[in-house]
Amino acid sequence: MKPFEYLEPKELRAACGFLAQYEGKAAFIAGGTDLLVSIKEGRVRPEYVVDIRVIPDLDHILYERDSIRIGTLATLDEIGHSPLIREKVPILAETAQQMANPGIRNMATIGGNLCTAAPSADLAPPLIGLGATVKIMGSRGERKIPVEDFFIGPNENALKDAEILTEIRVPIPPPNTEGVYMKMTARTAIDIALVGVATLLRLDDRAARVGEARIVLGAVAPTPIRARKAEASIKGYAMDDQLLESVAKAAAEEAKPISDVRGSAEYRREMVKVLTKRVLKKTLKIISEKREEK
Amino acid sequence: MKQAIIFKVNGKDQQVFAEPWWTLSRVLREELDLTGLKVGCGSGECGACTVLLDGKPVRSCLMLAPRVKGREILTIEGMAKDGQLHPVQQAFIDHFAVQCGYCTPGAILSAKALLDKKSDPTEAEVRGALSGNLCRCTGYVKMVEAVLAASETMRRGESAHGR
Repeated sequence: MKPFEYLEPKELRAACGFLAQYEGKAAFIAGGTDLLVSIKEGRVRPEYVVDIRVIPDLDHILYERDSIRIGTLATLDEIGHSPLIREKVPILAETAQQMANPGIRNMATIGGNLCTAAPSADLAPPLIGLGATVKIMGSRGERKIPVEDFFIGPNENALKDAEILTEIRVPIPPPNTEGVYMKMTARTAIDIALVGVATLLRLDDRAARVGEARIVLGAVAPTPIRARKAEASIKGYAMDDQLLESVAKAAAEEAKPISDVRGSAEYRREMVKVLTKRVLKKTLKIISEKREEK
Repeated sequence: MKQAIIFKVNGKDQQVFAEPWWTLSRVLREELDLTGLKVGCGSGECGACTVLLDGKPVRSCLMLAPRVKGREILTIEGMAKDGQLHPVQQAFIDHFAVQCGYCTPGAILSAKALLDKKSDPTEAEVRGALSGNLCRCTGYVKMVEAVLAASETMRRGESAHGR
């Protein structure tokens, strides 16, 4: 690897200060599982690598006022095994467990997954479906934006110069909301998704009609996207096979996939349909199983 | 500029002078002669570079040297105790789970990490633990068998060399 200066700031302000000072020549490193690959492949050539892992209070997973606050440095393994996340927003834990492989999960962070901003970032569809927001710190102070707005384009995030993502805040969904994320890959592990679909559903208490629905697609557009038309088409209706078919088709139509090494655009569009049906079916199954338990 | 990296490897304190852009895999292989770990892909996907960092499997090819200051590393060389192979190592031999051996150190360490956490894993859990260790030779069947057998051995508390 090309030599670089390695900096270990002990606090956030210093970290941002380095990025400002070495404008364009510095990169943050957290887990390093995306950055080091990019450096090795020559896609980035930082002269300064700013390691943020010794900065305190960036790896928490806490419950606060109907939200879960996840620090940017929380690893995928920690998220996958967090009792709090598994209880309140299990879709996040289950998604984390589907990512990469055990070795990577012990190193990679939620902040890194979002900041790399790949269209296929697995944590994005569930976070967007949950209405999560990110907290960003910079020289001009703090700001908060929805995860959906954090993705600007392929590998392009909303951070401006010398800003750092510090925390992700996940509102806990209303009771009886269930959700599932599935990704389609060539192998059972390791691979980047060629299609990812997250859904969150809440049914009306009595009539089993859809009270609220979120369908979020990953890897089939320049950024993760909500299939808003598909969502609107099922709100207020009872989910039957016909509706499943039509909502899956609607979601596929909202996708804007490209053809690449992982799959053709046509195949991806078809797989959005297949995966949307699968995640909705699985979510409905979980809802009915939980109902029976009561 | 090189920094002193002081850390524990296989139970022994070590001090290495390393450039910050050196990976842990380079430090272990070239500064400490621990060539059991292999660099297969160099990008974290194949698992041949797996070592345990404070008991958890990590990709040493993607870890910068300064990251391990004050931490504890276990490599395949540190698995045997007093000349006796670890039950996972013995099981890999007994169940013919080794062919070319390139993926083996990483796979054994991943398996050990699982069994240290869960003494009675299901086959699915074993496959999950090995999901990041690519093997071109064995087709994984024997590796999974070996890990399940080792878990039984470890539960019964038998010594590794009793057959």
